[in-house]
Amino acid sequence: MTPLLQAENLTKRFVTRGPLGARAEFTAVDQVSFEVRLGETLAVVGESGSGKSTTARMIAKLMDPTEGSLHFDGEDVTRAKGAALARFRGDVQVVFQDPFSSLNPRHTVERILMAPLVYQGIAPDGSRRAHAKELMERVGLNPDHSLRYPAQFSGGQAQRIGIARALAVNPRLVICDEAVSALDVSVQAQVIELLRRLQRESGFSYVFIAHDLAVVRQIAQRVAVMSKGRIVELGETAQVFGEPRDAYTRTLLAAIPRIDPEWDRRRKERS
Amino acid sequence: MSDLLVVEDLTVTFPTTRGPVEVVKGVSFTVGRDETVGIVGESGSGKSMTSLAIMGLLPKGARTRGSVRLDGTELLGRPERELRRLRGDQLSMIFQDPLSSLNPYYTVGLQIEEMYRAHRDKSRRNARQVAVEALAQVGLPEPERRVDHYPHQFSGGQRQRVMIAMALVCGPKLLIADEPTTALDVTVQAQILRLLADLRRESGTGMVFITHDLAVISSIATRVLVLRRGEQVEYGTAEQVFAEPRHDYTRMLLDSIPRIDDEVSA
Amino acid sequence: MARYLAGRLAGVVLILFLVCLFTFVIFFTLSPDPAVMICGKTCTPDRIDQIRDVLGLNQPFLTQFTGFLGGIFAGRDYGHGANLVHCAAPCLGYSFQTNQSVMDMVVERLPVSATVAIGAAVLWLLFGILAGLLSAVKEGTWWDRTAMGLALGGSSIPNYVLALALQYVLVVRLQVLPFPQAVAFGDDPVVWFQSYLMPWIVLATGYACLYARLTRANVIDTLAENFMRTARSKGLSPALTMRRHALRPALTPIATIFGMDFAALLGGALITETVFGLNGVGKMAADSIAKNDQPVIMAVTLLAAFFVVIGNVVVDLVYTRLDPRVRITAR
Repeated sequence: MTPLLQAENLTKRFVTRGPLGARAEFTAVDQVSFEVRLGETLAVVGESGSGKSTTARMIAKLMDPTEGSLHFDGEDVTRAKGAALARFRGDVQVVFQDPFSSLNPRHTVERILMAPLVYQGIAPDGSRRAHAKELMERVGLNPDHSLRYPAQFSGGQAQRIGIARALAVNPRLVICDEAVSALDVSVQAQVIELLRRLQRESGFSYVFIAHDLAVVRQIAQRVAVMSKGRIVELGETAQVFGEPRDAYTRTLLAAIPRIDPEWDRRRKERS
Repeated sequence: MSDLLVVEDLTVTFPTTRGPVEVVKGVSFTVGRDETVGIVGESGSGKSMTSLAIMGLLPKGARTRGSVRLDGTELLGRPERELRRLRGDQLSMIFQDPLSSLNPYYTVGLQIEEMYRAHRDKSRRNARQVAVEALAQVGLPEPERRVDHYPHQFSGGQRQRVMIAMALVCGPKLLIADEPTTALDVTVQAQILRLLADLRRESGTGMVFITHDLAVISSIATRVLVLRRGEQVEYGTAEQVFAEPRHDYTRMLLDSIPRIDDEVSA
Repeated sequence: MARYLAGRLAGVVLILFLVCLFTFVIFFTLSPDPAVMICGKTCTPDRIDQIRDVLGLNQPFLTQFTGFLGGIFAGRDYGHGANLVHCAAPCLGYSFQTNQSVMDMVVERLPVSATVAIGAAVLWLLFGILAGLLSAVKEGTWWDRTAMGLALGGSSIPNYVLALALQYVLVVRLQVLPFPQAVAFGDDPVVWFQSYLMPWIVLATGYACLYARLTRANVIDTLAENFMRTARSKGLSPALTMRRHALRPALTPIATIFGMDFAALLGGALITETVFGLNGVGKMAADSIAKNDQPVIMAVTLLAAFFVVIGNVVVDLVYTRLDPRVRITAR
């Protein structure tokens, strides 16, 4: 079976010009290869400067790779333009970290949710309003609020709007770029649960970009660990977390602060 | 021996167009000498306002009630001149974003020196020596060279080390750390937490550690205060709060955080 | 550093060359025949031909252009035989109106424009920054609102209105100042000062208002920076906190704007100089445009371009000293 998305040797080099006119080349992503299977969640984790966000931008086709190729559903989309790119945008959607800066503050939720359809030139089944309300219901928002503006929602609710917008075109792949990082823990847990439920219902795939390994563990079937532009380890979630092969992965896992498991056990016994 | 910091019924009020709003509502806790107390809460819980109230650095217009005593000295309502003498000397603070918290126009050395000179020794040469030693103490390599560098020439973790060196240069009795590791990568966070714990133990400084991250709090604090919308919902030893939480909100928080070692039901 | 400077200077030369070229093209294609103009009312075709010949106006465009450029760097000759006139480098030609060497005219008038610019700059920096600082510190108070209201009004008064109003009030009605005279500083410092005072005030007013608002905005932004909170948490004195931590970040961008404004003024304050009858580069520009005196127009255009471009380079170099984040490290 062909994977849904296949990235081969993706490389991104940035060239900066110093004040002296000296060229400095910086390789943000270096020969990264992975595939995303139908209906799975692949997490890409790493610290700042690891290249995970640049990778996300390349597979979302928000940025062209310097080298390498990208296939979606068997089709080469590395240099896709025009109709092919529009088709790709209909299949692949992105949910960003900061919900407020990625939602137009002057547009109503309804208009925000319908924008991807307008861009794709698709007419929704039934009226737009009904479709928007249905999307809001799916992500757990009150559909009566479809004419409100983003500023009238809390951070967690705004992120739900961002998720609903991604779902508007029935995508086959949703790229979550630090989609829950900015949320408070209690809200974060709810949004993660929502993301999992939506996947169960619709069967699309996620690429889940995050720096928080504990979050990744909740949602991903497979994990790619990035460091300095390269994937240092890629495997099943249980393997990467349980028996990490790479030294950097082990360092990363060891560095995560933990609540004393003994305390956790006692707490659970009491309740 | 009495407690180092005693906060009693601290209330912070902000004037708004719709009347005064209480952002901290009657918070009470104590910090012993040689102890770390954690304040944990989500956004809007009033945890940062509590720390700024202790420092006397609340924004203009904020009003405080209650009592904040450092080593027996009441801080609330004290004239600004006297507070200024205490700030940086008796109690000091480090912040979430070390890059924006350091002035980009001056070398880190100067920024450490000016604090020492404001409270201790006016001479430039001694202050410089103290700054170099402070940088060495927080584990920055080549402190003699680095002392003349500007903040943008350091990495995120190194900048927080510089902030810590600065905060401890006068040997304060109390250090307030407001989300000091939130902006850092997890491996760097681990180093900074270890450094803070070590330095605190060596110097015998009391510490108030503010964070939204329960796991971080559990690894550094002996006592924990949980805040929610300005109210104190739980206060006890770390073990009490984590193993035997009394309040539903604390239980909900503890249930929400994903555990790295848990088996996940897929 | 040396490489950076060389690159910047090459850029300067290129820009000045292009300014020359464009100005030359405009005159060559658009303006009326200067020979006819010089010839005056009693003119014969022979005389016109003769003028064209001497000035090289009958040459093709490229020859005239290279002749002009050559004059700047190597000097040039006008006419031939007994009529030959040598114009030594740097030669900007001769005024069609007065037959004076344009270079001599510039050298004579530049000090006047510089005096106007420097005096005005001192005034606007002093008052603009002080007013802006006070406003920022007393943000939202009666003083702040009044000062900023005045600044907004002041920056919208045209210079010629202000100049005429000042003259009317100070010279005609109150008679506290004499009418401006062309006096050298060495001859009579008092009259010199009195003569320049009004031009300085007029020129400085608009800038002072602008700088007051810029300073206020920058200082308010800086006071809200996290490092100001750090400075306060360190227990530094308010004076040190303000002077060291707020002023330098707030004023550095203003220094660069000032460099540009001042450089542009060295190229002549057209209106102010004209209204007060000061024989500066600005008035020279106004006169030459009115009379279509091409060599002079060329010269003032080039001069203004020269100051602006050089000002730009100086500002960039100074900025690397003021802001450590853009400091150019020699490798």
